[in-house]
Amino acid sequence: MTLALTACGGSAEGDDSSGGGAEGEDVTLSVTTFNEFGYEDLFEEYEELNDNITIEHNKIDTAENARDSLRNSLGAGQGASDIEPIEVDWLAEFQQYPDRFEDLTDPELEDRWLDWKNEDAVLEDGRLIGYGTDSGPQAVCYRADLFEEAGLPTDREEVAEFLGDSWEDYFAAGREFVAESDSAWYSGSDNIWQGMINQVEVPYQNEEGEIIADTNTEVKDLYDQLLEASVEDELSAGLAQWSGDWSDAFQREETFATMMCPGWMLGIIEGNAAEVEGWDIANTFPGGGGNWGGSYLTVPSQGENIEEAKELAAWLTAPEQQLKAFDVVGAFPSTTEALESDELLSATNEFFNDAPTGEILAERAEAVETQPLKGTEYLTINVAIQDAINRVDVDGIDDPDASWEKFVNDMEALR
Amino acid sequence: MSAPAAHAPVTTARSGGSAPEPRTGRRKPKVSFRHRASTWDRRYSPYLYISPFFLLFAVVGLFPLIYTGWVATHDWDLIMGQGEFIGAENFMAVLGERAFWISLRNTLSIFILSSAPQVVAAILIAYLLDYNLRAKTFWRMGVLVPYVVTPVAVALIFSNLFGDRFGLVNSILETVGIDAIGWHSGTLPSHLAIATMVNFRWTGYNALIFLAAMQAVPRDLYEAAEIDGAGKVRQFISVTIPNLRPTIIFVIITSTIGGLQIFDEPRMFDQYGRGGTDGQWQTMTMYLYELGWTRSDFGQASAVAVLLFLLIVAIGLVNFIITRRISSSEVKR
Amino acid sequence: MSALEEKPLPIIPRTGPATAPKDDGDPSRRRGSGSGAGSRSGGRKRRPGSSRGPGRGPGWIVYGCLAAVILGGMFPLWWSILIGSHDSTILSRDSFPLIPGGNFFSNAAAVIDTVPFWQATMNSVIVSTVTAVSVVFFSTLAGYAFAKLRFKGAVPLLVFVIATMAVPTQLGVVPLYQVMARLGWTGELQAVIVPGLVTAFGVFWMTQYLRQAIPDELIEAATVDGCSMIRTFWHVALPAAKPAAAMLFLFTFVLNWTNFFWPFIVLGPQNPTLPVALQQLQAAHFVDYSLVLAGATMATVPLLILFIFTGRQLVSGIMQGAVKQ
Repeated sequence: MTLALTACGGSAEGDDSSGGGAEGEDVTLSVTTFNEFGYEDLFEEYEELNDNITIEHNKIDTAENARDSLRNSLGAGQGASDIEPIEVDWLAEFQQYPDRFEDLTDPELEDRWLDWKNEDAVLEDGRLIGYGTDSGPQAVCYRADLFEEAGLPTDREEVAEFLGDSWEDYFAAGREFVAESDSAWYSGSDNIWQGMINQVEVPYQNEEGEIIADTNTEVKDLYDQLLEASVEDELSAGLAQWSGDWSDAFQREETFATMMCPGWMLGIIEGNAAEVEGWDIANTFPGGGGNWGGSYLTVPSQGENIEEAKELAAWLTAPEQQLKAFDVVGAFPSTTEALESDELLSATNEFFNDAPTGEILAERAEAVETQPLKGTEYLTINVAIQDAINRVDVDGIDDPDASWEKFVNDMEALR
Repeated sequence: MSAPAAHAPVTTARSGGSAPEPRTGRRKPKVSFRHRASTWDRRYSPYLYISPFFLLFAVVGLFPLIYTGWVATHDWDLIMGQGEFIGAENFMAVLGERAFWISLRNTLSIFILSSAPQVVAAILIAYLLDYNLRAKTFWRMGVLVPYVVTPVAVALIFSNLFGDRFGLVNSILETVGIDAIGWHSGTLPSHLAIATMVNFRWTGYNALIFLAAMQAVPRDLYEAAEIDGAGKVRQFISVTIPNLRPTIIFVIITSTIGGLQIFDEPRMFDQYGRGGTDGQWQTMTMYLYELGWTRSDFGQASAVAVLLFLLIVAIGLVNFIITRRISSSEVKR
Repeated sequence: MSALEEKPLPIIPRTGPATAPKDDGDPSRRRGSGSGAGSRSGGRKRRPGSSRGPGRGPGWIVYGCLAAVILGGMFPLWWSILIGSHDSTILSRDSFPLIPGGNFFSNAAAVIDTVPFWQATMNSVIVSTVTAVSVVFFSTLAGYAFAKLRFKGAVPLLVFVIATMAVPTQLGVVPLYQVMARLGWTGELQAVIVPGLVTAFGVFWMTQYLRQAIPDELIEAATVDGCSMIRTFWHVALPAAKPAAAMLFLFTFVLNWTNFFWPFIVLGPQNPTLPVALQQLQAAHFVDYSLVLAGATMATVPLLILFIFTGRQLVSGIMQGAVKQ
């Protein structure tokens, strides 16, 4: 909603501790989160474990606002929380300012995370900028009831097979579905794009940081393939993600049948589609594995209680705590231990027809081999290309070629 | 800008020496200390009275202002801070971008779509309120309600109403057989929708201001007009409107300044707050925000701020001259 | 500066004075008044409450039109209450209920539970009241000086005041934040209050109003009687300014009450004002709009109460202003 700039939990006035307070000294730590990290109970638990610590929770609505807020605090040299979250899509952007963040390297924690998760947060000089919180391994969510009406399989294993494991298969399945149904195959191209682009190893910027988005044939091919499926094959419902129309569509009769589904998406579907029966989740993903989203906890250097903040960040991202957050808000863990735990593997989701979501997503996480090289401008470029896609699919104001031309211009302006 | 020209003559004409002279003349014997004190009082008190504004402004306004000008001439990253001095380069870069000109177009278009109908509607509502109504308080406060409703609620509700697919407005259009309008995909429709939000919030507010001014119009003017055989419409045009002139000027100046800086409504018009996939409703302040905060180029963002400032001053001036000319010719007739 | 006060970007309007500069030779105004000074109401009598323009009592058309305007204006508030009293799925249902549901109090309880609602309300009351009182006082003072006192540089200074309104506010944020940080005010209410203590809009508004509302003769008389400048201000200007002051108070109060941008930046969620607290209701993967709109309704209620209490005052104030000489 509203414009948001910064939020500064700022280590509060009245906090009489300063500097890396010794044991027992009262310390107030501020922690920013966005969306839902599921930390409320954890904060209380931590405060009980550590008498001298008080935690202030700075809760921001969206990732965009959290990002703007952090930029603003770094710009002002003041106002950042002791612990600030960074989402994977803008991690590289903040890695441009390594001296503004503490090095979190800790030999004891070296093997805590999935390799790809941890590697992203390691700077060139080997320093670690953030501890991984959640991750976003993707499966495919689908409406079993709509599948049934279209005469397609509904059982989640059969569906997984029907969907296949490449984008061609997925789109072919979609053509089959829309031939028999009034609903669309997916909500909008931008949802699918997130699945596709997160599988490209070097999408928008090369190792040197040069922008290659508009010259990268891999990107252009995906763009063409997606828009052909969306527009010519009419697989898309033409709804922009997160828009009011998109939320509304979950409750409509003529809607859409599948969605790219990282773990955190489950709650969103459930919220929007409350009382709609038929959602399920299939253990497959077009093009192999893919991770969408997930964050890191960083400790900005401008804070006053760096040591305590590091400890808290490490504690919050430990396997046990990740599991608790998963339990509360579905934040899917990124630590190997948590991924292997029975607690996770036995988790089911009632709304999704009691699907074993823990097990499915854990398998999807294993399928993720690598993360794309997300450069400093990743977010900006991805926004520009999503705009290009939505100009065609949602707004219908450009054809794919014209829209691509505009994207090329955007890239020129960015260079 | 505008105001000064209007007031200059007034100020001089008015205070033209009334206060001091009689006093001195009258109390010659008491020249002494008291006299000196009061001369001092008269000479410096005005500065004392206006000083709170200027003092505070120096800290919270002037510093950011100068800072903006300074930043605009430098290569400046939001986080890394000041870079090299690059003169007008930021301005040239911004002026060379298509997005800048689109945002300029959008700003002007939304501004016109919101301010002109709003002033007219506000005057008409004020005119109705000026009747000898029963339960005056109720009616007058009633029109101000939109102004107090939390902006979050207003934004949520309007973006819901103007949904392209399932919005209420389009549903109604479709039931009466008109094609749905792409409120978020089209340029003009999006401007109309945003202007509606703006008008919703501010029309009642301006109506009360006009009402206050109408109340001050001397009744005998109407009586005279009636004797001259002027009908109601005629009276409205040749008595009410000309007498509202100073207020109209005020409203136009302030609405120009506010309207050209429009940010909240277009930003809240969709879920991303960037002004549409093709910049359909990206205004200058949104563009400025994008440059500064998403692209981290504070130098270019400041350049846009300076350009916007100049634009506001220019349009304020034009507005003022036109309004002045129109209404004064009206009066002379 | 006004920078702050204008944070919420009063879109179209901050507005104008009830009346205006008396002005140079406007013949129609002078007619019959004889007071060349342009105090247009001077010497003229008007029955309070009489409607000049339109003249006679209003017919049903007038009431009908006004009722339509007001109903339209109430709609979002009604909608907020409606959705705030149902559960979250209401927005996307095909059939839209037109009567409030029974969930308002449970939603309200959830709001109070989720965010520091009472603290935020208290903060908003303090911020809005202090800034509104201060803006009214200092604007009247400055407006009086600009409108009625002669001093060197008055015109350029006034131009300067107005020009400050034209500076886009978004850019001032970082430097202003730095000022607040240096003062150690971040997270404290004064970081929101102090920048809003005076506004260019208020000064402009009062200048315009007082120019017309106070006849010069009155000031002359006061001066002749040996009143000091400040006494003249106190006994002549302040009373005359009442109607405009009432409106300025309300406008400033509402502006600060609904202001989100700057408080969000400088206060943070530990010591929030209402809009900042409400924003936290949207911090979730899935935004529960019934909760958000219940919160929005709760934030609007105090303003409506203020409205009911000050409304009468305000309206009679407006009229008084016109009658006053």
